[in-house]
Amino acid sequence: MDGFLDLLTLPAVQRSAIGLLIAAVGLPIVGVFIIGLDIIAVRFAMMHVALLGIAVGLLVGVDPMLCGLLACAIAGAGVAPLARRPTGLPGAMGLLMTFAIAAALLVLSVSGVNATGAFELLWGSILATRNVDLIILGALTVVVHVLFWRWRRQLALLLFDRELALCSGVAAGPLLLALLVVVAVAIGASIRLTGALLVDALTILPALGARNLGRSLRSMVLWAIALGVAGNSIGFVVALLLDQPPGPVLVLVAGTLTLLTYLIPEGARDAIDPGHRVDRGGDPVPAGQRLWQH
Amino acid sequence: MTAAAIKFSGVTCRYGRRTAVDGVDLDVAAGEHVALTGANGSGKTTLLRAALGLHPVTSGSITVGGRPAATHGEWARRRRDVAWVPQRLAPGRFPLLVDELLDSGGNPVAARTAATRLDVAGLGGRPLHTLSGGQLQRVFLARALGAVAAGARALFADEPTAALDFHGQEQVAALLAALPVTVVVVSHDRAMSRACDRVAEMAAGKLRLV
Repeated sequence: MDGFLDLLTLPAVQRSAIGLLIAAVGLPIVGVFIIGLDIIAVRFAMMHVALLGIAVGLLVGVDPMLCGLLACAIAGAGVAPLARRPTGLPGAMGLLMTFAIAAALLVLSVSGVNATGAFELLWGSILATRNVDLIILGALTVVVHVLFWRWRRQLALLLFDRELALCSGVAAGPLLLALLVVVAVAIGASIRLTGALLVDALTILPALGARNLGRSLRSMVLWAIALGVAGNSIGFVVALLLDQPPGPVLVLVAGTLTLLTYLIPEGARDAIDPGHRVDRGGDPVPAGQRLWQH
Repeated sequence: MTAAAIKFSGVTCRYGRRTAVDGVDLDVAAGEHVALTGANGSGKTTLLRAALGLHPVTSGSITVGGRPAATHGEWARRRRDVAWVPQRLAPGRFPLLVDELLDSGGNPVAARTAATRLDVAGLGGRPLHTLSGGQLQRVFLARALGAVAAGARALFADEPTAALDFHGQEQVAALLAALPVTVVVVSHDRAMSRACDRVAEMAAGKLRLV
């Protein structure tokens, strides 16, 4: 135990712990968006798009990671029009992935840049978290929360059914565009900050568990954050106690928590749902107006 | 509240090379209730969806209250003007609560009052995917009535009684008949057709008055 407490005094471990906590509060919401949009392959797609951006950055001499994030944002915005097609977004992710990796390899080849070096820019580690990474994670978390809490009613309709959202006065196009850009940039940045393996544990796994527990978008988000905080806290402590690399341990713990959610009976979910409350909206019936009698 | 006249002029809609709606002309007077009948695949649903901007119009025009729609702003106005009961009552790929659906019509209080009248009060906290087909249909109808209370001047209902029992069909037909707005209802239900002022039939994308 003394060794564990000693580890907690190390600045690198403290930064990792803070990074995981921030990530646990923000990234599971991104995971809920990803599941709602049915784009689980976005992680692979954005990894390759980021690589393309990095390759271009190395070629033209601009900060590669900035170019990588910019490429993610452009790719996210670029696939938005495909959402109108019934299978548009899931298919688009596969298309993006293939195009981006081919283009990246071509750019790297033409520019004479070492491909391994470019790939290494993508492999982050939570134990190598820097102060600037914490700032980026924090900013991402704020953006994700603002997007969700400001437009949660519209998002609930959009993720349920785009046409219903349109007919309910939701600006579905701009909202979807914002959603895809935020998801793309968040995934691109997270891969750099935490490593590709951990991105799944921080985004998709809590959201998958929340999908089993939540009865509405709001309760799904609350469950996803709760699972994210629990998984990251337990996983990080276990990794330190066992002196094992945190990435795999965090993924295993998050995966176990997600598996457990499949075991909860349908009937028990109502009782444990923290978000079993509905947001009210709209105007009341104007004075003197009544529903039509006959 | 004023009802809106609806005018379909030479409307043609296609799915790829297949013509679903073929040069349809239909004038619906303000406050008139029209039943749209016809075999499956005859273009009824496409015609209503085109009026809401959910399916592109290849040629022709559709006006509601004398207004066409082309820009985003005009479509947004159109969708406020026309309450909609969709045919495809899919449970969606994501959870949505009944109360959230009722709220989306623009007047939650009126939508809940309508839900009570349609015998689906008390379902507010339930996700839509847990409802039966009949309950889902009534909830969507209650939402549309909320939209009418919020200012919509017309209502498009696409087979609003398809999942209801005989009592439910009579009940919904009577409720729609009492609405002081323009109504275009796609239906195979005789009670609904009887409750309308006029019946128009579609066959292979073309329209004829009955």
